[in-house]
Amino acid sequence: MSTDNRVAASSPAGSIYDLGYRHYEGKRRGHWFAAWSLYVDSLRGIWGFGRPMSAKAAPFILAGLYALPAVVVLAFSSTISKSIATGETNPLDLPNYANYFGGIGTFIVLFLVAQAPEVVCRDQRYQVLPLYFTRAMGRFDYAMARLLSLATALFLVLMVPMIALFIGDILMSADAFKAIGNELPKALPTIPSNLLIAASTASIALALSSYSPRRAYAAVGLLAYFLLVEFVPLVIYGIGHEAGAKWVDYLPLITPITGLSRATDWFFGAPIPSDFSSSVGAGAYVLAGFVSTLLFTGILVWRYRRIAA
Amino acid sequence: MTIAPAQAPVIELVNAARWYGNVVAVNDITFSLGPGITGLLGPNGAGKTTLLHMLAGFLAPSAGTVRVLGLSPSRDPSVYRRIGLVPERESVYGFLTGFEYVRFNARLQGMRDADAASRVAIERVGLQDAADRAIGTYSKGMRQRAKVAGALVHDPQVLLLDEPFNGMDPRQRLAMMDLLGEMAAAGRTILFSSHILEEVERIGTEILVIVAGRLAASGDFRAIRALMTDRPHMITIRSSDDRKLAVTLMSDPAVFAVTLHDSELAVQTAHLSAFRRIIATASRTAGVRLTEVSPADESLESVFDYLVHR
Amino acid sequence: MIHGSPRSPILALPEIFRVTVRQLLGRRRTLLLLLLAALPLLLALVFRLFDRIDVQRYSNSVFDGVLIAIVLPLTAVLFGTGAFGAELDEGTALYLLAKPLPRWAVVLAKAMAAAALTLLLTVGSILAGALVEVIPAGEAGVRATEAYVGATVVGALCYVAVFVAVSMFTRRALVIGIGYTLIWEGLLSSLLPGIANLSIRQYALGAGDWFVQLGREPARLPPETSFLLSVVVVVVALVLATWRLMRFELPGGTD
Repeated sequence: MSTDNRVAASSPAGSIYDLGYRHYEGKRRGHWFAAWSLYVDSLRGIWGFGRPMSAKAAPFILAGLYALPAVVVLAFSSTISKSIATGETNPLDLPNYANYFGGIGTFIVLFLVAQAPEVVCRDQRYQVLPLYFTRAMGRFDYAMARLLSLATALFLVLMVPMIALFIGDILMSADAFKAIGNELPKALPTIPSNLLIAASTASIALALSSYSPRRAYAAVGLLAYFLLVEFVPLVIYGIGHEAGAKWVDYLPLITPITGLSRATDWFFGAPIPSDFSSSVGAGAYVLAGFVSTLLFTGILVWRYRRIAA
Repeated sequence: MTIAPAQAPVIELVNAARWYGNVVAVNDITFSLGPGITGLLGPNGAGKTTLLHMLAGFLAPSAGTVRVLGLSPSRDPSVYRRIGLVPERESVYGFLTGFEYVRFNARLQGMRDADAASRVAIERVGLQDAADRAIGTYSKGMRQRAKVAGALVHDPQVLLLDEPFNGMDPRQRLAMMDLLGEMAAAGRTILFSSHILEEVERIGTEILVIVAGRLAASGDFRAIRALMTDRPHMITIRSSDDRKLAVTLMSDPAVFAVTLHDSELAVQTAHLSAFRRIIATASRTAGVRLTEVSPADESLESVFDYLVHR
Repeated sequence: MIHGSPRSPILALPEIFRVTVRQLLGRRRTLLLLLLAALPLLLALVFRLFDRIDVQRYSNSVFDGVLIAIVLPLTAVLFGTGAFGAELDEGTALYLLAKPLPRWAVVLAKAMAAAALTLLLTVGSILAGALVEVIPAGEAGVRATEAYVGATVVGALCYVAVFVAVSMFTRRALVIGIGYTLIWEGLLSSLLPGIANLSIRQYALGAGDWFVQLGREPARLPPETSFLLSVVVVVVALVLATWRLMRFELPGGTD
């Protein structure tokens, strides 16, 4: 007979063992670890790891589509460099660090519409939030862990084509090692600019998605937001600009995709394109990006603070 | 095995089977039913709901034929005029009031005076007081009653119910049983499924027992019990002196086991009729006065138990 | 029991229509759709704010860009997939099907309810914006409004029929609807003009052209073809939906 069982009742001849609630007397890590675990788990979930193959389809396909132009440039780098030398292709027409997001940002929207609901809607739908909130991790930690995981996933999506372009640039030049030295400073601004894009769009997507327990409706709502807040201000701006009104110059600041691609210009020192008024500098767009991130993060935290669980 | 009806059977299955790939849910079942109440019994997973859905026309048989009122319900929607269905699943119309829901059913049945018919149906199930509240606010028992009202508003000839007493308290259950009894007496054919034996026992004696997709028995459960000759009958006896009676009974060849309990005697005999003859004589011989003689396992439970574990 | 001789069951259709409308309305969804539908009006007010009455500009940016491209498909997707909703997957459709009604009638009633709500919102939205911005422009504005109302009606009927049908085959109908709108009709159509032949949006716009040519690129379909294709789409969708409804099966589950 083993002697380290808990004993409920015992006499010299025999014992009854207590098979009740098993206590854990070991070391407990704090809420940081709990939040970290949720972050990792959430990040895996966004890419569909730990879920069936069909869950991997959307994120990988959309991320792949976003990276496609850069990969194409990389694949044809030798052809392209020859064609630049002969003057057939103008380097400014090619995708580069500064214009990449502005050109193909739609796929980021699609990625968010597909995956952001996956991150937050399930827990609400199946009402498992109490299981999270009664653990070491609190409501704030939960919201932030989820947000950071989506932002990280987005950052990865955004950086892959940047890396592809970087490699492409190196391959296109004559001396590889010197090229690395040259290209690196040019490529560095991609990091902060993509961080801003990731944080800003992830916070919008998650804050809005967290208001619906049903993924499909969250997706539709998110899509409606991105489409409308993108185009409606631009339409109003177009009309107002012609009419000479000044206040409409500030409207593009609230557009997610266009605004963020203008913010990217600031990091690369690129000028604002001609169809935008020069009274609002690129720096304003960066500021708008920060403000939007803070605002929507606040909305997300507020939502989870108030949600009944 | 059939429950023989007087005229053409209302419900008739001939070698009906249903399978999904390699899994056979309903295996070669044949029976026919006429007016009255029949209980469909079986453990969970036996195929009761599958069978009911086949009768309701929502599952086509993989083999064999299913006929309700002479028509094939999976092919001919017109048969629904005369069938009422009370399924287990909840409806999505929680936003309708009880009355509106019943009237919805009445109107879809094409009834001329849907309002009046709905009111009558609501009263029959006892929901008058709650009829103007949304079904979403009802308790489970009330929702069941609303479902039943919706199913009988068009006065169907056949009523199929899947676990109808789920969620009902004893009083509601009794009321529902009375209602079904009334309908059966009026000539309707009612088939309901249950795995709660007390319910089935109380309503009626005709049963269909389905185990692992096969029909294990059909008919009056007492008659089925009598047919179970390879199993001894158990009889409980109380008397003024159990021990003396026990000794006398053991000497009779009709009895093959006697167990002495604290306050009673449990006798096992293979021949119920023979035992009935000897018990009076035995007690007189032993000089013992009998206070109670009752069959211990005439219940549906023992029948069911036997059939499931056979 | 009170009986009365039964009427023709086809007369039960208005009841299905009414109940489906109630099913579709209510909840936040309707509120959001109302906000969406109010956009053309708001934008029209902005135009007037800048003292512009510019039929061409408004039509291109608001009617084309906001209404036909965004508001119409989203509204139709939400109502179309909501008509049957999860009823077929969850099996609760049997309440609707255990009735002496032909299956095509059930499909028709549900689709009409979804279409009616979609039309109410979208055509209402057009008229609101048009009254403020486009009709005051005179004859040209009236013709343009007629064109877009026509386009919206055709588009709404097609979208709703298609999404009702799709919702009966898969749980993911809503997501598929969004993907179709954004990717197929949005992105790919601008990249590959040939896709116009398979795009409901193009059928709708082509049908609108019957009223007045609004000076868009020549890649559009001619009106007659558009009408024809729309009819085909609606009929095929409804037939498929009916076929699927007839195959509705409810397994026993775990009993």
